[in-house]
Amino acid sequence: MTSKEAATAWHVDAELLDAYAEGKLTPSRVMAVDAHLQACAQCRAAVPSDPAWLDHSWSLVADAVQAPRPTPAERVLRSVGIPEHRVRLLAATPALRWSWVLATVAVLSFGVVAASTGQAGARITMLLFLVFAPVLPVLAVATAYGPPADPMHELTATTPMAGPSLVLWRATAVVGVSMVMGAGAAFLLPGPGYWAVAWLLPAFLLCVSTLALATALPLPAAAGVFGGLWLVVVGGVAMSGSAVQPLFFGPSAQAGYLVAAAVAVAVLTARRRRLDPGETR
Amino acid sequence: MTTVRIQGLGKRYGSTIALDDLDLEIGVGVTGLLGPNGAGKTTLLRCLATALAPDRGRVEAYGLDPAAAAQRTALRRRLGYLPQDPGLYPNFSAAALLDYVAVLKEMTDARRRRAEVRRVLEEVGLTDRASVKVRKLSGGMRQRLGLAQALLGEPDLLILDEPTVGLDPEQRMLFRALISRLGETRTVLLSTHQTEDVGALCERVVVMRQGRAVYDGTPRGLAEQAEGQVWLSAEAPDGNRMYWRNADGEFRTLGAQPPNGTPARPSIEDGYLMLLGPEIAAGVVAR
Repeated sequence: MTSKEAATAWHVDAELLDAYAEGKLTPSRVMAVDAHLQACAQCRAAVPSDPAWLDHSWSLVADAVQAPRPTPAERVLRSVGIPEHRVRLLAATPALRWSWVLATVAVLSFGVVAASTGQAGARITMLLFLVFAPVLPVLAVATAYGPPADPMHELTATTPMAGPSLVLWRATAVVGVSMVMGAGAAFLLPGPGYWAVAWLLPAFLLCVSTLALATALPLPAAAGVFGGLWLVVVGGVAMSGSAVQPLFFGPSAQAGYLVAAAVAVAVLTARRRRLDPGETR
Repeated sequence: MTTVRIQGLGKRYGSTIALDDLDLEIGVGVTGLLGPNGAGKTTLLRCLATALAPDRGRVEAYGLDPAAAAQRTALRRRLGYLPQDPGLYPNFSAAALLDYVAVLKEMTDARRRRAEVRRVLEEVGLTDRASVKVRKLSGGMRQRLGLAQALLGEPDLLILDEPTVGLDPEQRMLFRALISRLGETRTVLLSTHQTEDVGALCERVVVMRQGRAVYDGTPRGLAEQAEGQVWLSAEAPDGNRMYWRNADGEFRTLGAQPPNGTPARPSIEDGYLMLLGPEIAAGVVAR
């Protein structure tokens, strides 16, 4: 007699089935009944089952298996109280990829290392840092939304979530990340401490101006205008040999940045609905 | 029932005219767009999908006009769109990618969203690939994932730009079954190069050429465009005719009757080729 015939010759009786269904059997007997049920369709059909409950259980299992695992960055955002669905949106920001983060870290650490090693070159490195650091967040803004940074832009742009608020959320996220990285690098630089934070206000001004101009131009173009303007003016003055620090990072310049940033914020607020043109032309 | 109205739609890129004063009405069911490359199919679909603003004319779907910001968002809530090149993030798993698109479609509740993701994965037969990264999926699977994201949220209007590219015959069958079921209650507009897709799937076909609709009717009616102009003969016809040798070794000629030619039943492809006319015919003869 083969095992298959044995399986059909014996069936689970009603009493055993009840005990099985109510979970009253010992583990070894549960295994025995399980083994029989797998081979015998007749007994399987006799087991009372609740399809709704099964579906629900299955969905819980699938949730646990398929749910995308949150990255450390997502966990940090969740812990400061940002809702789960918004964290998902921010985490998919094109600029917030390891490639971008690593590139920024590489540029900043190059500056820090160069400044720390060569005494003679330290002043020049400081200068380079002050010239380039404010542009890094602008680059981040340029790649926060839309083509060419986002390969899924066509899809993203045709969903109900597309629009100004998505652009702003993403820009804020990348500016935040790049500012934190820049500030970290700044404190590692040798030299007077206040220089290290002197770039923050111009960086903020450039980012807000870029977003304000993005209500009229595509985001990368707006970033090109203000990032380019900064590099040409400040870089040009530095190349001519004039003192850049007092001119662009002194108290009066900082006050000027603050006023200009307030103006840019006002423009951005007034025109925020135009931040995403809606449809390409 | 008419759900989509297109009036005098025009779009040009520099000196190239993509859409030339196009009028079209589409209803519930599956409508196929056929046409050579550059005929304006993708431009039309992008205008309807609220991705591209036309230069002239008007689009209206389910009473909503995408030219107005509020109505555009309202239309996007009822839209499922598969672009020609969806650019799905390669480092996302299939489930994570769908989850992300579901968030973009305003599904804020995580549990509901996951259930919806599971539903569309099941629909396209990718349940067992849920945690595989997009870059590790085959071309056909990626195409099905693109279709799955369009199905999220059960949209009323489905716009699919070449959805059958890269599908093998079995996947194509599954796709047809799915789309024809969706077409019972929704407006499905798809573009394709496959005349077989049109014959098998679409109750209506629109042939586009140089930004205009040159045919609008049933697939059968499209085949009838070549009625009396399809011939079979044992020998190659002479002269400037469009012909090819079929699987039975006979010569199939489109156009005027060749010597000893017997009439043959026209296919959708024959009708399509006859409609496109001289240029296409010249291209075939040149080969």
